[in-house]
Amino acid sequence: MTITTQANILATAIGPHLFWITSRAAGIAALLLSSLSVCLGLLMGRSIIKGRRADMRVAHEALSLATLAAIVVHGLTLLGDGYLNPSLGDLMVPFLSGYKTFWTSIGIVSFWMLAALGLSYYARTRIGVQRWRALHRFTALAWVLGLAHSLGEGTDAGQTWFLAMTAIVAVPAIGLLVTRFSRTSEAHSATSQAAPARLPHSSRRLSGTALPPARLERP
Amino acid sequence: MSSNDNASSSPGTHREPVQLDAKALASARRDALLRRARRIRRSVASLTAVLFSTAFLVIYVQLASGHDPALVANAKRTAGTSTTTGSSKASTTSTSTESSTGEDSEPTDTESPTSSATESEASEESSGGASAVTTSQS
Repeated sequence: MTITTQANILATAIGPHLFWITSRAAGIAALLLSSLSVCLGLLMGRSIIKGRRADMRVAHEALSLATLAAIVVHGLTLLGDGYLNPSLGDLMVPFLSGYKTFWTSIGIVSFWMLAALGLSYYARTRIGVQRWRALHRFTALAWVLGLAHSLGEGTDAGQTWFLAMTAIVAVPAIGLLVTRFSRTSEAHSATSQAAPARLPHSSRRLSGTALPPARLERP
Repeated sequence: MSSNDNASSSPGTHREPVQLDAKALASARRDALLRRARRIRRSVASLTAVLFSTAFLVIYVQLASGHDPALVANAKRTAGTSTTTGSSKASTTSTSTESSTGEDSEPTDTESPTSSATESEASEESSGGASAVTTSQS
């Protein structure tokens, strides 16, 4: 059998699945990019990496935008899939699709969260930087939902190469996330214990020295 | 320093070189920052392209070699349902369809489903699975 014949056979075999393969590839790319972005975002908050903050911010932003683009490709290419044949509503509105409704909805919710929390960066002055920063922490939750969507519904979820590839980027991100949460909760609990002992509540209110929790902890 | 030397002559002009240097330094730094940002954006774009292409290729090869998880599972499921329905109907249906499908292909596609809707669905699924499997065999 010649190479041309083999290529023709391959083309006819892949043809009907082209949209499906594209969607799967875009989904995998989105998962890896979002994991890298979460890693970078969490590292930016750590004191380990002080220099190159501007570069890290640019990389974080670029990775987030690439993630959103990959998710859009992941969703839109499914419109051309002949087997699933979803409508635009099935892909945009949670709990509307009949195919694995729970996992699909988790993916849709994750996308909307990522889009809203990520793109709100460009309106952070209008939102208020502190408020935006507080909201931006929920991006980690959106990423976790996306990870659950890929592991719960992904066609390649049981494949070794997929699990290995996901683990390489997701495990460090989960580690950083756990560290961040544990540090934050420790700081909160220490503040709540230490604050009343230092200064009575009434005098704090009167003197106007109510500092953020992190400031109170520092010597 | 030079500022002390120029202080007596003209206080307005002695600062110009320093100011120019500061401006030049600032603009150089800004340029370097922008250049680095552009490079980072470009490398992220290429990383995205590489990740997408790699994933596409892996899935493509997997599908072409007949190891795609979804299609294999579908083919197995179709084969499983077809053999059970085939055995139950074997006594009543004629064997002409079986002989026409050949030995390698699933004989159940032509005989198993009773309703037209399930028939079309099953044939669609099995055609996808069969195409991948036959590609790998060829």
